[in-house]
Amino acid sequence: MIYFTELDHTPVFDAKGELLGHLSDMVVDASRDPLQVSAYLIKTPQNDVLSLTHEQVQAISIQQIQTGVPTESVRPYAPDEGLLHVRKDVLDQQIIDVNNRKVVRVNDVDFDIRPTNGRTALRILAVNVGVAGIVRRLFQGVVAKRMLRFFASMFPARTIPWEFVNLIEPDPARRVKLRISFDRLARLHPADLADIIEELGRDEQKAVIESLDHETAAHALSEVPSELQTALLESIPTEKAADIVEEMPADEAADILQKLEPETSAEVLADMGKEEASDVRELLGFEERTAGGLMSTEFVFVGEKAQVEGAIEALRNFEGQLEAIHFVYLIDDSAVLTGSVALARILAADSKTPLSELAIKSVIAVEPHTDQAEVVELFHKYNLLTLPVVDDKRRLLGLVTADDVLEVVLGRK
Amino acid sequence: MKLLKSPRLRRLRFNLIIFMAVIGPGIITANVDNDAGGILTYSQAGAQFGFSLLWTLVPITVALIVVQEMVARMGVVTGKGLADLIREEFGLRVTFVLMALLLVVDFGNTVAEFAGLASGMKVLGVERDLAVPAGAFVVWALVVRGTYRLVEKVFLIACVFYIAYPISCYLAHPDWTAALVRTIKPSVQFNSEYFVMLLGLIGTTIAPWMQFYLQSAVVEKGIKVKNYVLSKWDVIIGCILTDLVAFFIIVACAATIYVNGHGKIRDAGEAAAALGPFAGRAASWLFAFGLVNASLFSASILPLATAYYVCEGLGFESGINKGFSEAPAFYSLYTSLIVLGALTVIWLSPEKQFPVILLSQVANGILLPFVLIFMLRLINRKDLMGEHCNTKTFNAIAWVTCGIIIALTALSAVTNLLPGRATVSGILHWLRWS
Repeated sequence: MIYFTELDHTPVFDAKGELLGHLSDMVVDASRDPLQVSAYLIKTPQNDVLSLTHEQVQAISIQQIQTGVPTESVRPYAPDEGLLHVRKDVLDQQIIDVNNRKVVRVNDVDFDIRPTNGRTALRILAVNVGVAGIVRRLFQGVVAKRMLRFFASMFPARTIPWEFVNLIEPDPARRVKLRISFDRLARLHPADLADIIEELGRDEQKAVIESLDHETAAHALSEVPSELQTALLESIPTEKAADIVEEMPADEAADILQKLEPETSAEVLADMGKEEASDVRELLGFEERTAGGLMSTEFVFVGEKAQVEGAIEALRNFEGQLEAIHFVYLIDDSAVLTGSVALARILAADSKTPLSELAIKSVIAVEPHTDQAEVVELFHKYNLLTLPVVDDKRRLLGLVTADDVLEVVLGRK
Repeated sequence: MKLLKSPRLRRLRFNLIIFMAVIGPGIITANVDNDAGGILTYSQAGAQFGFSLLWTLVPITVALIVVQEMVARMGVVTGKGLADLIREEFGLRVTFVLMALLLVVDFGNTVAEFAGLASGMKVLGVERDLAVPAGAFVVWALVVRGTYRLVEKVFLIACVFYIAYPISCYLAHPDWTAALVRTIKPSVQFNSEYFVMLLGLIGTTIAPWMQFYLQSAVVEKGIKVKNYVLSKWDVIIGCILTDLVAFFIIVACAATIYVNGHGKIRDAGEAAAALGPFAGRAASWLFAFGLVNASLFSASILPLATAYYVCEGLGFESGINKGFSEAPAFYSLYTSLIVLGALTVIWLSPEKQFPVILLSQVANGILLPFVLIFMLRLINRKDLMGEHCNTKTFNAIAWVTCGIIIALTALSAVTNLLPGRATVSGILHWLRWS
């Protein structure tokens, strides 16, 4: 193994043994091999930059790099956006450690050094984010390299294998050329993804949100603080924002839209699907910090005369998030809430059992203008999972769920 | 059910929310600037020179606004901290040296805050050995146990308490007309003590850590580029408020201590006590209360800011929204700065604390030029700042401002290192002969 820091500024000699210059950077061509160093950039004593291809390199050690070709055949370096530069793009930059779900800063890059076909080839192994990397960087050139190796080894070396490293390139065109994708991020838990997004700079945040699929983006966005939510939604194109908001539960979408600038908010609503937009519009009418402002309109209800099989049918046809459902609500002919049945009771009962036999008749419910503090009290007092919100005629409007209440309690709303 | 009424009302409410969401970092940063060291310097300026240094507050405010505005802009546009940007642009070694210097500077400042706390509390009748540990615990617990929003609220309330100075100044019955005239009309005294004081005023106003703190705070708040105008006002209002407080301190001390010919004071608590006979008990207590508030306030922000940017620059996890296990380096740094700072004040007599503070001032003089130059180079990078780079005119103003600050800070560091008066009179001498 060999470190970038050790090779940095190493003298490079040509076939005749004359000094060509000093190593200044290493280049990886992702379109050919995403790990192999394809070229070495050399700064000559005249301050020109040459590009030495890996075929031209004969031997590499921490003391020197030996080429097998004469000086004349080494080409000058032509800048190419499509190539990954180890110093410019990786060293000192922030990267995402996909495995540990964190944003970290690169102190050093580790290479695997091995002879192939009589030449020495380097392959990227890992990035170094620990104290050992810092020590190497600080003392490189001051202390002899072999001494430094020993010295640095006394400090903890935290490395992240290259396959778990996600580079963050804000420019979408260059991202494609470098074959960087955020696919692996999409598989993280939305809360972890949100933490990662919070750590990044403005352009990088935008890059990640834009490249995620709508659903993942929506989940991640639900978890970031509201200032950042609006900042991100306003920075991306309106259609994209609408697609993302559409994927959110209506109550969250309404909360976010309320905080966007009125014009942007209207544009996003106009770009959303008709059905989703109308759900959100309904909720937008309620004051913040009340039961109406907290509630979502996703709930499962059946007529009060239905049987267990009717409830199961209703659950099957439900289009929202099933995980959030704990009760099936019973309503009469004029949509008045008459009872609630716990999901577990439905599961345990025979399919022909009338739901009214399983139901709790005196359901605790509030009106939309109820203050959120009172809602929290009710959840606490009656150990609720959900609390129906009804109008003055006790017709069911929506539900406040325990996770909404938790946000209130933690002071996030 | 109350429905949202007209769109206009919603617009107004929306703007208010945005304003409240953006305001904070600038005002807080600028107010922390009036810390124990600042109050001492202003008190000395007033006690020793009366109104004759008041005019310097105007150019100092302008310089402060020019510098702070750039940092806030970088924070809003890039969404990254200053230490982050320096690391990405200038590499690890430069960052490390900067951070090490900053640590020294800030440790010295933290010691000065706790010393200020002790001397303010003494006037209020609380012993040092009780006041300092209690104060240290309060600031530590606030940040470690509180959330960002809570901390910011407490900080904003602390800003309000600076009102103690205008009131205590009012009680001192100064000659307001003369004070205002001397603020607008520059006058220079050609003696070395005057120049040492002038350097001190500038040195205490524009500090390196503020730039890092402001940028990180702006980033943490997630302020949007679109709302940058508001952020700019946050900075401008903050800078003006700060120097208004400085104005009142100088005037209060000038109207009492200077007028009655008492001259030199060694610590800010002494200034508070000296106000008593001339302006009454209340003025004296208010002054001391202001000092305690400022010291506590800065003692919590300084170590916090230091921990922030050191971790940022070296790539350790940071942020008060994380727990200890997530960001161990951050919390260890923060805690040890507070604990060691407080212990230094409890254990060492004021004379023995002096070398610590002196060392930090020298480090400050070395550091500030680098920080300002790095800032100017970063803010002119098109790929980083896009259309928000400095304009040509603003660049000229910024370079000149930073140039003057650098020259004066360096001079101040030199006078601190060498026997002060001799150096300044030497320089004055040299100026006259050339």
